[in-house]
Order: sequence, then structure tokens, then C-alpha cells
Amino acid sequence: MITVEGLTKKYGSTVAVDDLSFTVEPGVVTGFLGPNGSGKSTTMRCMIGLDRMQSGRALFDGKPYSSLRSPLHEVGTLLDAGNAHSGRTARNHLRWMAASNGLPAKRVDEVLEIVGLQQVAKKRVGQFSLGMKQRLGIASVLLGDPRVVILDEPANGLDPEGIRWIREMLKHLASQGRAVLVSSHLLSEMALIADSLVVIGKGRLIEQCTVDQFISHHAKKWVVVRSPQLGTLVDLARAKGMQVATNENTAEFHGVESAVVGELAAGNGIVLHELSTQTGSLEDAFLEATAMSVEYHGRPEDSR
Amino acid sequence: MIQTVRSEWIKLRTVRSNIVMVGIAILIPVAIVLLTVSFIDIFSVTDVTLTEVIAGSGTMSVMVLGVVGVLCVTQEYSQGTIRLTLAATSSRLRVYGSKLVVVATLATMVMLIVIAVCRTLGAAILEGRDVTTVVGYDGEFAVYGAMVVVAMLVAMLGCAAGTLTRNPPGAISSLLLWPLVVEGIVGGVLSLVIDGWKQDWLPFQSGLSGLQVSVYDLEFGRWGAIGYFALWVLAVTLLAVRLLKRRDA
Repeated sequence: MITVEGLTKKYGSTVAVDDLSFTVEPGVVTGFLGPNGSGKSTTMRCMIGLDRMQSGRALFDGKPYSSLRSPLHEVGTLLDAGNAHSGRTARNHLRWMAASNGLPAKRVDEVLEIVGLQQVAKKRVGQFSLGMKQRLGIASVLLGDPRVVILDEPANGLDPEGIRWIREMLKHLASQGRAVLVSSHLLSEMALIADSLVVIGKGRLIEQCTVDQFISHHAKKWVVVRSPQLGTLVDLARAKGMQVATNENTAEFHGVESAVVGELAAGNGIVLHELSTQTGSLEDAFLEATAMSVEYHGRPEDSR
Repeated sequence: MIQTVRSEWIKLRTVRSNIVMVGIAILIPVAIVLLTVSFIDIFSVTDVTLTEVIAGSGTMSVMVLGVVGVLCVTQEYSQGTIRLTLAATSSRLRVYGSKLVVVATLATMVMLIVIAVCRTLGAAILEGRDVTTVVGYDGEFAVYGAMVVVAMLVAMLGCAAGTLTRNPPGAISSLLLWPLVVEGIVGGVLSLVIDGWKQDWLPFQSGLSGLQVSVYDLEFGRWGAIGYFALWVLAVTLLAVRLLKRRDA
């Protein structure tokens, strides 16, 4: 289990992470979300002692990272797949890491096989694609068979097969009772991987909850209706003050429950071919929740 | 600590540029010594000549080993592996100490190889040219011992320079410019403004002067000169460790 309490990190006068607290439970995949520059990577670096936090603490099963004698046995971390010497072979890259924590060379071969790099174990990392580097990074995470796994954008550069592989790998790791914290900008992927979320913006916690709770808190809901008497139903609804948008064959009712629309139709003898509640995606919820925390905005070229 | 040392040793020997530098550190002095003893006027050869040539050419090995010390640290920053290193070993002091152990051991091994090869082949060539009594004078092994110790110190200084600057060109430049340019300028200026100024007070000058065969004119003697240089290396090392512990990786 990971416990982060009051983590604050400043660069000069800029506050990158501001009194951030959250927990990552074992047995579930926790997604770590936030817009660019929100402090996700900084938080991860502070958690494992790479960056010095001004205040607060991060505990792994109750212990700070600095007190771990053989950290790879406790916490596996992938912060940047590019953090490997381009002139060193994949196997040698893992060998020095394994040696630093007293792991046998046999374990290096095992993890290379798990991530599917055994065929290129003697190739230099400089010849690897980004996807292969990601797999090598995952191999380094798995070296010590850790109880806690922290991954920063692990799906970057992976092809669809690789993305599916990492999704199944993370779910498998969590199913073994490990605490898994993973950040990603691929929100559709996160919706499939994560059980719970830690969402931050401008270094502050926006919300920690399950994915379903987050979507229901922030994403819009609407009722879709299909009916041969659509015009009559829309007129009745508008007369009652409901917000309705119409398409060719359907109408979208906003701000009401499907039961209200159904009762309105039944009460007026209107036949319905479809009555369903639609919910926004994790992406919609994320954009809604972090709208005030986005530091860098783009705009279409022709909107000047 | 043993695990971290083993890890650092694997890192050092699995990168081609490090192997090339070690090869240069061995081959250049050997080539210089062999060429010198092959073509030197045999009537100018005395019992200290071979040792002088070995010590002189060994100075190049010393500086190359300093560069290896620099690369041992700066490669980590330029390639981003420092984050993995500090994540795998949470004690930064242990990481730095392991790097020092590895570069100092490597420097010792390289210098012992250089000395053994140069002395054996150099003596054989000179004896083949009918020169007698080319080795074995009093104090010969003190010079070789000094070569080993100074190589260790310069390699450790390279680690410190790498830690302070974090980039290979900056660290290598500072390591090479310090003895070649900075001390020359500083020594020249100070000798003009301070009566009785001695070049032995300049750290690199002092350390490298400990490699001389004749040390009668040294202010502190051979080991005093090297000890003075070692104090400077210690001071720079302490500064590097302090910064390594404080800075973000």
C-alpha cells in the first residue's frame, strides 16, 4: 500500500505539488490522472526520493523509500523508458539493476522472457524502438517481484498489441495483491485498466474515488428517446421546461431521469422505440473536472 | 555495499566508451615506453632512465583514468540512468562510495598493468641493446607506488568533477584544464605577488610532482606532495557528495 501525506514540492517560487495526499490500495490498479504540468511525474519522483519534497511524506507499506535496503524487492518503478544507456545491451542493463539488489542473473532472463525481449537481450538499447524500451522498463519493474508498482505513461509508444499486453499485465499484477499506481494520458485505456483514480490539477488533489464514481460526479448524463411521435413528445417536454435537443430520429433530454421522460410519454399515449440513459466517458469527466487546472490551452488554427 | 559495488562494476565494463578509454590508458604509455627504449641513445641510459620514462608516460594514463572517473558519473546523467541507480539504491552516499571503490580499483589495476608491462618489456629491450642495470635502483618502487596512488586520486577527482557538473564535456574540460591551464595561470600570478611562492602549493602540480624520480627539490617530499593533493581531492569529493545528496536527480 502507498500512502502519500501532505506532499509539497516547490521549484523556486513555483509550487509543483501542493499538499497532496492520497492512498493506493493493494489489489487494485489506481490511475493517476492530471493535465500536462499538473505534477504527476514530480509526485512520483518525490515518492521514491529522486526529488526532494519540501514537506510531507510517502510511505510504502508504512516505510519511507529511503529506509528500504533493497528497494527493487519492495517497489518497482518505471518513470521514463528512455532511462537506459543506449550503448548497453538489454541484458546488461537489467544485470546491473539486479546486482544492485542482490538478484541473480537468472531473474534477468526470466523477466526478459516475460516481456518478450529474450530474442533481443544482447542488442544494444540504442537500437530499440520506443515500444521495446517500454517493455525493457517493465522488465526492470518486475525484476525484484515488488509489492508496489509505479508506472509513468507505460503505454507510450506501444502498438495496439503492446497496449493490450500492458493492460493485462497491470490487471494481473493487481490481481496478485500488489498496489499498482499508473499514470497515462490515454483515458480510454485508463477506463479499461483502472479500478480507482487519483486526479490532480495544478499539483492539488481534485478527487480520489473509483472510476465509476468519478464519471458519475463529473460527466454529463442525458436520456435518448426514439419514437414515431417524437415531435409531440418534444413539444410536451419543452412545455414542461425540459431541455431537449433533437436529431433526425432521436431526441436528447438533458437534466432529467429516464423515468420522468417515460412517464411523460406513457401519460400521453406516446409509443417509444428507445428510452436509454447515456453517460459521458472518462475523458468527458476528466476534461470537466480539470477544466480549471489546465495550464496550456491550444486553439484551432482558423479561430484567430 | 558489495551489491552496489558489483552493480557499478557491471555498469563500467558494459559500455564501450569506458573500455576504449581503459585501452587507451594502457596502450599509450606502453607504446611510448617501447618506442623510447627502442630508439634512445644507449650511452645516455642510466639506472633511472626506464623508471623516468614509465613515470612520464604513465602521467597520460593518470589523466585518462580521470576521464574514466568523469564518465562513470556523467554517463548516468546524460543517459538518464541516474534515476534508476538512485531508485535501485536509495542511499546516495552508498552509490557514490561504490563508484569511488570501482574507479579506484580500476585505476590501480590499470596502473599495475602499465607498470608491469612497461618495466618488463622496457628492460628486455634495453638489455637486448646491451644496456645493463636498467632497473632495481633504490626508490624505484616508490615511484610506481606513487603512480598507482595518484591515478586513484585523479580517477576519484574525475567522479567528483562529474558529480559537480553533471555533463561530460564540462567535467572533462575542468579536469584537464585545471592542471594544464588554470594552475599555470594561477601559479604565474601568485609567484608575482607573493614572495617565496612555491608551485608545490598548487594541488595538481603537487600531486603530479610526486611521480618524479628525483624528489629532492619537493617542498613536502614525495608522499607529502601526494598527501597534499589527496586533501584537495577529499575536499572536492566532500563538496560533490554534499551536492549529490541535496540535488534532485
